[in-house]
Amino acid sequence: MITIFLTLILVFVLQLLFYSWWWIILVPLLLGFMEKDSVARAALGTGLGVFILWTGMGLYQWIQGGQVIVRRITEVMGVGSGGMLVLITGVLGLLVAALAGYAGFSLRKLLIKEYQIS
Amino acid sequence: MRLFKTILTVGALVLIFLLLNDNQGSIPPLGKFLNPFAGFWQNNASLDQIDEVLDVPGLRSAVKVVWDERQVPHIFAENTYDVYFAQGFLTARHRLWQMEFQTQVAAGRVSEIIGAKAVEFDRRQRRRGLLMAAEKTINNMNEDSQTQLILQAYANGVNTWIETLTPATLPLEYKLLNYQPETWTTLKTVLLLKFMAWDLTGRNSEMDLSIIRSALGAQFVKRFYPADTPWTDPVIPAAKPWRFDPLTPGTPPPAFEPQFIRDLATDQPDRDNGSNNWAVAGKKTETGLPILSNDPHLGLKLPSIWYEVQLHTPQMNVYGVSLPGAPAVVIGFNRDVAWGLTNAGSDVLDWFEVEFKDKSYTEYQYQDTWIPADMRVEEIQVRGAPAVLDTFPVTRFGPVVTIGEQALDNGHPVGLAMRWIAHEPSNEMAAIRGLNLATDMASFFKALDQFQAPGQNFAFAARDGDIAIRHNGKFPLRAEDQGKFVQSGRDTTGEWRQWIPQEQLPVISNPWRGFVSSANQNPVAKSYPYYMGWEYDDYERGSRINDRLAAMDQIGFKDMEDLQMDTFNKQAELMLPFLLKQLDHQALSPDQLQIVTELEHWDHWSKAHSKPAWVYKQWWLKLETAIWADDLDLLGAVRKMPSRSVTAQLLLQEPSVAYYDDQQTPAVEDRQAIINRSLVETITDLEQKLGPYGAAWELGRARGTDINHLLSVKGLGRPGLMTGGGSGIVNACKQNHGPSWRMVVELGDPPRARGIFPGGQSGNPGSSYYDNAVDDWVAGNYYDLNFLMSVDSVMDSTLTLTTLRNSQ
Repeated sequence: MITIFLTLILVFVLQLLFYSWWWIILVPLLLGFMEKDSVARAALGTGLGVFILWTGMGLYQWIQGGQVIVRRITEVMGVGSGGMLVLITGVLGLLVAALAGYAGFSLRKLLIKEYQIS
Repeated sequence: MRLFKTILTVGALVLIFLLLNDNQGSIPPLGKFLNPFAGFWQNNASLDQIDEVLDVPGLRSAVKVVWDERQVPHIFAENTYDVYFAQGFLTARHRLWQMEFQTQVAAGRVSEIIGAKAVEFDRRQRRRGLLMAAEKTINNMNEDSQTQLILQAYANGVNTWIETLTPATLPLEYKLLNYQPETWTTLKTVLLLKFMAWDLTGRNSEMDLSIIRSALGAQFVKRFYPADTPWTDPVIPAAKPWRFDPLTPGTPPPAFEPQFIRDLATDQPDRDNGSNNWAVAGKKTETGLPILSNDPHLGLKLPSIWYEVQLHTPQMNVYGVSLPGAPAVVIGFNRDVAWGLTNAGSDVLDWFEVEFKDKSYTEYQYQDTWIPADMRVEEIQVRGAPAVLDTFPVTRFGPVVTIGEQALDNGHPVGLAMRWIAHEPSNEMAAIRGLNLATDMASFFKALDQFQAPGQNFAFAARDGDIAIRHNGKFPLRAEDQGKFVQSGRDTTGEWRQWIPQEQLPVISNPWRGFVSSANQNPVAKSYPYYMGWEYDDYERGSRINDRLAAMDQIGFKDMEDLQMDTFNKQAELMLPFLLKQLDHQALSPDQLQIVTELEHWDHWSKAHSKPAWVYKQWWLKLETAIWADDLDLLGAVRKMPSRSVTAQLLLQEPSVAYYDDQQTPAVEDRQAIINRSLVETITDLEQKLGPYGAAWELGRARGTDINHLLSVKGLGRPGLMTGGGSGIVNACKQNHGPSWRMVVELGDPPRARGIFPGGQSGNPGSSYYDNAVDDWVAGNYYDLNFLMSVDSVMDSTLTLTTLRNSQ
């Protein structure tokens, strides 16, 4: 739960300030790396955090004067509806963030194990 | 194992990052594009928001901008610099991507954006010398301090806007194609002007005509490709006497058969680029005030080609449409005068066959000696690939656009050099600025003296009552038919040596008939002493406009709007009854007879819901092709066919000539046979394509108008618009082409004006101002244009004010 929340807040602030999409990779990577025990927290927690953020922000933009652009982009991308577009945005965020979180977690396991051996 | 798994995971992550961070084919970089903090989600209506105060570094004084309900900016500035700075700033705010993209197209820099698939296009574009011409012209413009100031002010304004952009507010197309805007330069503005010149003067049939003359003889060309096409009512009425001593052009160049055959038609500008304009004197209007109308016909795209604006300084108050990317108003009006443009169509582009000494292309034959060519090296940057270098020779005629792979029998390679008026240095910017400031006919004509290319028919009306039209531009002095065919570059005969003097250009002011008009037809009758070209438009539009204007009296706005929306098909009126008479009803099926009956009852109005209008159009095209395609199928392509009116005249006068026979069929067709056959084939084709005769056959459905996005991205255009009209019809709507701006101005004090273009002010597909005028444009509605006399004019609820102030 805390990972979801942390991911959400960190990515939100960083994206508001610096826009780049790859914060949804860097932040989960870091949080995944900091996660000691649970692979689920590392992957799913970060993934869900980004999912909630991107879905929420997409919805917010849609409602805040985004009707026209959403209608056009659904046609450009051949997506059925605006809702589907929001979902695709959220799911993309989820998958990328979860993979990053998992990668962070794996890296930790690898590095820490090597450290213990030496 | 863990190591392997981790490497795999991290590798996958890196791969996914790379995949989502860059374009994959035509798919945008999905990570960036879907990012709700900076992707397409941010290109929403919030970008339309109008601030009360904006800090704009670089302004010399505060500028006030009044926005009306269509987001037209009315710019009130204290000085010349600020007004163009603000125009650049605000135009970029609405249209930055389009402005930049158009200049990239002009400069042959599309490969930088979309990669290797545009290299051939870029190469052609560069060899045509648009960039070369723009470089020459900018040097010329910079010699005039006023022009330099205007161009620089505009560029500074654009760049100030670019600096305000964030990854979120970047225009959508940059996000789709994944690139960034670059700094705007004055050269880009000039490139845009050269691009317009290309669009309006780049079409040329010389290669086809040379091939036709070789195969079918000079008489054939003389008869079927005349400058004075049948029934033409010239721009300057035939009765106008020419009271000057004309210059004597040289002797016509001897007939020359090019040895280098190349199809030059690839991406030539649209043949229907044209327009209507007219001015009516006060004696014919309801209010006693002169009225001016103009509707330029161009390719219809989104974002729109025009940007509406009002520019006000203590010395100037002008309203109209501008080209996004260029300062000032191109078509419009001020307190004293109004003006409109139609394409001149006079010949300002010639092809010369150049013979090179060897494959280094560094020397070419000229007057029995070998002279050196300037070798120009162009570096084409290609996205995702190494740059491509293109070297081509520039001769005394101009750049060599195509070079033959095969040498002549004597072993010398050949190429085709393009002599084009827009390669000459000029200063159209100063001319346009002069039009914006003009107060009467004298100052208007004086401004036009600087306007060299693209040649235009400038119609004019003034508050003091004057109306006029001038076929204006820099036109080479030509012998009869000089420049109709590819010429030899080995000697001087075809060279441009002199120009038609400005004071001898075709012009008329305040004619007795009380109006002037043009519709791209031949500007003059035979009595005019100079030959200016031959590829003018047929008589129909011009003739219809003149018929209507002559018949009208007590003219008001509505009459002018109705005339711009007029869909009467003069060509059908002339030809259809004749064609119908040739039909053998016995040979037609009941279904076909039903269609013939509809054609018989058709009133010749090509309205959107008319079915016969589309059947007739297709029938005529089929008939033309049936007559000419076999005769003109020469050297692997069907060459240019005679114009509509020439074919019409042949059909009316000649019951039996060899051309009617389709050589592809064993039977020998005469006029009647070819007319019957083409109708049956037309109906069969249409039934196959559209199903049984019904609503799908309506002009607006079967053809209609599709206004596509500049990149043809599906979903960003407005396809399937129910329009009537067509080629040879005053309301010249076609599938992707048509009236790009309709304007009517009445020169009272203050002037009143109405207008519309098929799009909107914003270039942002996420804005409702992107295409808000499209439906009204289809319906033939016009908007009142708010010509504000001062910033303190009534500020009603439809107007909003922004103050741009220098924060530094």
